[in-house]
Amino acid sequence: MVYLDNAATSRPREEAIRAYEEVSLEHFGNPSSVHGAGYDAERYLRKARDGVLSSFAVSSTHKCVFTSGASEANNIFITGIAHRFHNRGNRLITSLAEHPSVLRCFLALKEEGYDVVLLPVGEKGAVAPEELAKAMNDKTILVSLMGVNNETGALSDLMGLRDVIRRFPKCFFHSDLTQAVGKLDEPFALLDAFTFSGHKIGSLKGSGALVYRKTIDLPPLLHGGEQEGGVRPGTVDVASAYALSVALALARKEERENGEKAALLRSKLVSYLLSRPDEFVINSPFESSPFLLSFSLLKKKAAVYVEGLSEKGIYVSSVSACSSKRENVSSVVLAMGLSKERAAHAVRVSFAPYNTLEDIDAFIKASDELLKGLINQR
Amino acid sequence: MRKSLLIHYGELSTKGKNRENFVESLAKNIRHALKGRTFSLKRDYDHIRIYGDELEELLPLLLDVSGINRISLAYECGLDMDEMEQTALFAYKESGGTSFKVETSRPNKAFPLQSYEISKTIGGYLLSHAEGSKVDVHSPDVRIRTIVSRKRCDIYAKTFAGAGGYPLGSLGKAMMMLSGGIDSPVAAYLLLRRGIALECVHFAAPPYTSVEAVEKVTDLLKVLNRFEAKIRLHIVPFTALQLKIYEAAGDSYAITIMRRMMTRIAVGLARRQGCLAIATGESIGQVASQTLQSLNVINDVTSFPIIRPLAAYDKTATIEIAKKIGTYDISIRPHEDCCTIFTPRHPVTRPKMDDVLKIEKSFDYQSLVDECIEKAELRLIGGED
Repeated sequence: MVYLDNAATSRPREEAIRAYEEVSLEHFGNPSSVHGAGYDAERYLRKARDGVLSSFAVSSTHKCVFTSGASEANNIFITGIAHRFHNRGNRLITSLAEHPSVLRCFLALKEEGYDVVLLPVGEKGAVAPEELAKAMNDKTILVSLMGVNNETGALSDLMGLRDVIRRFPKCFFHSDLTQAVGKLDEPFALLDAFTFSGHKIGSLKGSGALVYRKTIDLPPLLHGGEQEGGVRPGTVDVASAYALSVALALARKEERENGEKAALLRSKLVSYLLSRPDEFVINSPFESSPFLLSFSLLKKKAAVYVEGLSEKGIYVSSVSACSSKRENVSSVVLAMGLSKERAAHAVRVSFAPYNTLEDIDAFIKASDELLKGLINQR
Repeated sequence: MRKSLLIHYGELSTKGKNRENFVESLAKNIRHALKGRTFSLKRDYDHIRIYGDELEELLPLLLDVSGINRISLAYECGLDMDEMEQTALFAYKESGGTSFKVETSRPNKAFPLQSYEISKTIGGYLLSHAEGSKVDVHSPDVRIRTIVSRKRCDIYAKTFAGAGGYPLGSLGKAMMMLSGGIDSPVAAYLLLRRGIALECVHFAAPPYTSVEAVEKVTDLLKVLNRFEAKIRLHIVPFTALQLKIYEAAGDSYAITIMRRMMTRIAVGLARRQGCLAIATGESIGQVASQTLQSLNVINDVTSFPIIRPLAAYDKTATIEIAKKIGTYDISIRPHEDCCTIFTPRHPVTRPKMDDVLKIEKSFDYQSLVDECIEKAELRLIGGED
């Protein structure tokens, strides 16, 4: 199996699994309990929380809430800010290329009557600071723009964006860093809030975190308990939180090395795609994350191509789950201003540290065989 | 007084000669449906009776068995008027109705009272023993049926509709073409309910169709296992032939030629497997390949019977059945099958036979068709796993 869909989810690291196992078996108490087993679990939870904050070097300024993943964390923060600071203004700004857990959140708030602005991203795949500046006003209370786009790898200029936002002191800046954490160094301390998932950085599915300024008082999305500072009720999954902190620390430590390796894999893939201009066109902007690459097929159907690769044991991603009945297109590729055809036949390849050059060779070989065998369907 | 499930054959009763065989297979199918339960089964000329301790639990298991017209929760008693009255009262009270009509049939002509007199006597007894009851001969809450036969009397007030049709397998076997869409499982269900045993054929064209499409068909058949415990599924490797068709036929005729090839393959498999017909989920006019003109051209490849149970069904009626039997949610899963992946933009709705024959002459399809039949993979759906 050659797994090249690591932006969807990745294989957990052994260290994370072992950490999970250890806490689950040895320190299984409820951290809210007022007895020895509870205190013991609480220690691990604190260790996990401190670990996360120090991995980003934000221990003194930010706090961390463990969630089931980035989707939940995004919902908690975006909805929470909108509801709490409604008295300050009602403009909320995001982009059309955001992950659904951000975009849909904004659309739901629009239904509630908020003044929601959805910015286009242009050919660079990210919102330019100048574009953001045009949309900002004194009523703006939240800007949410992702660090790395999950389909194209496009990079946001978080520093530049933050410089725009800081001129509006009532406005908070949130960034979904799911595809950035453990892969790129971002100006974490300058963000009011950021979110990420555990399973994309070698930890387990069902884990993630919201990291935000200590000064912000968020209302909970769900009601039920005082856990996680009252923001997220329910017995805390200590093992999961601990595994997340372990995987995060390792990913942060190996960031540079892994990034260089991914860049190597990606450039090999790019050369291959460029050598077949009759078949492929690259969607990812020139400057983008080394960990993923989006391209479109010019003659074949993406669903068939991906299915064919899958038969050969090579797993990559297409936007549509193999269907001509539902017209699925990549909303991100569309948001870049590219054609609907291109958006419908986009394929994403994404790397993890365990991928090798041999994996790319296997992909290229399988792809060539497929291109020869498949008929043109468009 | 002994309780039983009294199973009425319905349509089956009209058949003279084959009756014994039908009842035999029905009894076999009933035993299969009740596998693992404690019960005893008795056959007589008119009915099958099921005895057991938990008849109410057995009842739902029998409602899907084809060949059963009705099932009554019956009480048996001796040929004695007092006993019959008490039994009728018990059955009536159990039914919970407040108005009734007593209907009697008397195959046992030696019984001293005539049908009408029996009804009248029992009715009188019920009126005086069940408070607040009245007789309503036009639309009673409860019809109390009394059957006086040679050795016993059966009385029942509660009857449930069965699946109808004939005992599964007693009518022979058909080869069902199953795409994975909404229609074909419904067509399969209608045939099974009629009593026709099925084998199924599915056309897979990887990688143009997803492996998930085959899983989808398998899951559909698991739902249909309720009606036929073990179903053979033949998965035909269709890619090579389909590409050839696409190349030879071009956009407008691809579907017509494809359906003709599928029909040839299905007939080939059907003959090999001892099926007496093939069956499809086609509904006249629904899509380009299902216009009468198209069906005419497609059907032309064989003299083998092709059954189309949904020919005159509206899509809404089909969907309703699909939801009822539980195949709908599986059918709407988004995976490609052979029918949708090559959907051309402008398929021909009135194909001309001359054109079709010209296209088919242009390539050697026979060897590819034979290969499809030969290389079909067999999966047994249902059974002990």
